Amino acid sequence: MKLTIDQRWDLIDKIAKQTVTFGEYRHTLKDAIGELTIKPFTGIPIAIAVMYAFWSIFSSFAGTLFTDGFMVKLFDGHFLPWMQDIFPGAGGWLYYIIVGDPLANNSFEALGVLTSGFFVAIGVVLPAIFIFYLMLALLEDMGYMPRLAVLIDTVLHRIGLHGYAIVPTILSLGCNVPGVAATRILETKKQRFIMMTLLAIFIPCGAQIGIMEEVIPDTMGWVLLYLITGYFIFGYILNKIVPGKSPEFLIDVPPYRKPMISNLSKKVWGRIVGFFKVALPFVLLGCGIVNVLYLVGFIDWVGNVFSPVFVLWFGVPEATAGPLIAAFLRKDLAVAQLSVIEMTPYQMISAVVLVSIYFPCVATFAMMIKEGVKEMLGALAVLFVVVFLYGGLIHLIGILLGVA
Amino acid sequence: MNVLLMGHPNVGKSVFFNRLTGANVTESNYPGTTVDFTKGWMKIDGEDAELVDVPGTFSLDPKDKAEEVAVAMLHENKDAKVICVIDASKIERGVYLALEILEEGYPMVIALNMWDAAVDKNILIDINNLQRILGVPVVSTVAISGEGIKELTLKLKEAKPIKIEDIVKNAGGLT
Amino acid sequence: MEKKLSEMKYEEEGIVTDIEETLRKKVAGMGIRVGKRLKMITKQPVKGPVVVAVDEAITSLGLDVAEKIIVEMKS
Repeated sequence: MKLTIDQRWDLIDKIAKQTVTFGEYRHTLKDAIGELTIKPFTGIPIAIAVMYAFWSIFSSFAGTLFTDGFMVKLFDGHFLPWMQDIFPGAGGWLYYIIVGDPLANNSFEALGVLTSGFFVAIGVVLPAIFIFYLMLALLEDMGYMPRLAVLIDTVLHRIGLHGYAIVPTILSLGCNVPGVAATRILETKKQRFIMMTLLAIFIPCGAQIGIMEEVIPDTMGWVLLYLITGYFIFGYILNKIVPGKSPEFLIDVPPYRKPMISNLSKKVWGRIVGFFKVALPFVLLGCGIVNVLYLVGFIDWVGNVFSPVFVLWFGVPEATAGPLIAAFLRKDLAVAQLSVIEMTPYQMISAVVLVSIYFPCVATFAMMIKEGVKEMLGALAVLFVVVFLYGGLIHLIGILLGVA
Repeated sequence: MNVLLMGHPNVGKSVFFNRLTGANVTESNYPGTTVDFTKGWMKIDGEDAELVDVPGTFSLDPKDKAEEVAVAMLHENKDAKVICVIDASKIERGVYLALEILEEGYPMVIALNMWDAAVDKNILIDINNLQRILGVPVVSTVAISGEGIKELTLKLKEAKPIKIEDIVKNAGGLT
Repeated sequence: MEKKLSEMKYEEEGIVTDIEETLRKKVAGMGIRVGKRLKMITKQPVKGPVVVAVDEAITSLGLDVAEKIIVEMKS
C-alpha cells in the first residue's frame, strides 16, 4: 500500500506524538553564530571577510611562504644548474626538450620538461592546491557553504542559476574537473548547462591562479576582473537564450559542526593524490609536446597562419600560439610559458584571459563528455563565440584606454 | 546480499560507510557531495555483503540529478536491504523518507544518528515504542564515535518487509 | 490572520495552512507541510530567499517558492 503525502504526514504526526517529546531547549552559541552568518546585515560582511581571509591565506601561504621562500630557491639555486650541468648534449634537441635553455637562470624561462615542468607542478601548483583544498574542506565540513549559498542566491538568480551554484563555482576554483561533476546538484538541464559552460570558460583553476600569483602578480587582478565580469555577462545572456525552466531555490541549512581532522586530512590527501595522478603527467607531457612542436616549426607556422587573428583581433603577439596549444593540456603551464614572452602588460592581461577562456584543459574536457556529449558540444559552441567576442572586446577596451 | 545506505544529505552516511566497510569516503557538511555512489564490502554474520553509499535524498521524488541517482539505485536493487540513517533531532522528516522506502517493500533498519546531539537538545525518543509501531529495528547511533554501529549490523538480519497497513494500525489509524 | 510565507517578518511564527499543489511533493521531504509550525529566521534583500526553521531543521526557500505557502500567524 502506498500513502499519499498528506496520509504519510498524518501517520508521522501520530507516531511522533507517541514516541517523541521535545524538551525545553536553550539556544547555544553555535545557534547564535548560525543565525548571524545567515542574516544579511551580519552575514554579508562576514562572507566578505571569510572570502578575503581565504584569499590572503591562499596567496601568502602558497605564493610567499612556500613558492618564493622555499621552492624558488631550491629550484633556481640547485635543481636547475644541476640539471643543466649533468644532462648531456647541451644545444641538442633532446636537451632542448628535457632541460630547455642551457643559459636560463630561473626555472620559468628554461621551459624544459624536467626543469620548468617540474618546477611549475611541484614548486608552484602543489602548494597552491594544497592550501586551497585544506581551506575549502574546512569551510565545507563546518557547514558554511549552504549559508554562503543563501546569501549569494539573489545575485546568481540573475544568471539563471541559484545560490547553490556557488558550490560548483568554488570547487572549480580548485580544479574544474570536480566542479563540472558537482553541477549535478543543480535541478534543471538549463541550469546544469549554463553552469558547466561558465565553469569551463570563465573559472580559472587553483593551479592557474597559483601560477598567476607567481608570474604576473601585478596584473592578475585585471585578469580575474575580466573573468568574473565575463562569468556574469555571459551568464546573463545564456539565461536569456537557453530554453528551459528557471530554478527554484530550496535547500537545507545544516547546523555548524566541528570539522573532523580525519575527514579533512582524507579529503586533502585525496586531492593531492589526484594531482599527482592527473596533473603532473599532463604538465610534463604538455611541456614536452610544446617543445617538440617548437622544434619541428609547427608553432611558428601556426603563429604565422593565425597572425592576423592574434595580432589584429585579439591584440596579442604571434608567439602566444605556443602557450595556447599547451593550454589544452594544462592552463598553469600555459601561463608560465606566456610569462616569458616579450609583450606589454595589457597584452599579457589579454593573453592570460585568452588562455583561460579559450578551451577547457583536457581533463575538464573528458569530464564534460562524461556529463553528456550534447551538453559538451553546446558548451563548445558557446565557447567559440565567447572567445571571439570577449577576446575582441578586451582588445577594444585596451584600444579605447590607449594601452593596447 | 545487497545493503543500501540511505538517508538525507548530511546525516553522517559517509561516516557510517567508513565505519562499516573500513573504506575511505569523505563527507561534507552540505548536500550533494556523494554525487557518485561508492560501494564497499561489509561483514554480516560472517558473510560478505555489498554496501552501497547512496547519495543523500530528502524524498523519493527527486528534485536534482544527485537525488535522481539515489532513487534509481534503490529501484535497481529490488532485493536489497536498506539502512536508513536519520538525524535524531529531525526525526519527523527522517521518518517521512523511511516510510516512502518501506512503502516500496524494502526491508529496513533505522539508525537514529547524532543521538548525542538530540539528547543535548532535550529531544527524547522512545525507541522501543517506535520499533513496535514501525515494525522495523531501530538503533540509536553516534557514527563519529562508533556508538551503536555494531548493534545496527546485528539487527540487519532481522529486517523484513513491512506492511504499511500494520504501521497504520499500530499507530492507531489514520484520521 | 493568514499571510504568504514570503510576507512574514523576522521572528514571526505561524502554522502552515496551505501549500500549492505542485509544490507539496517538493517541500514534503524537507518537513514542510500543512499543519506544521514554522518560524521566520531571516529574509535576504532584493527579492532574495527566506530562511525558516521547522522543528530543528533550517530550510531556505526562494521567494517564488515561499509565495506558494500560506501561513496562519500566531497571535
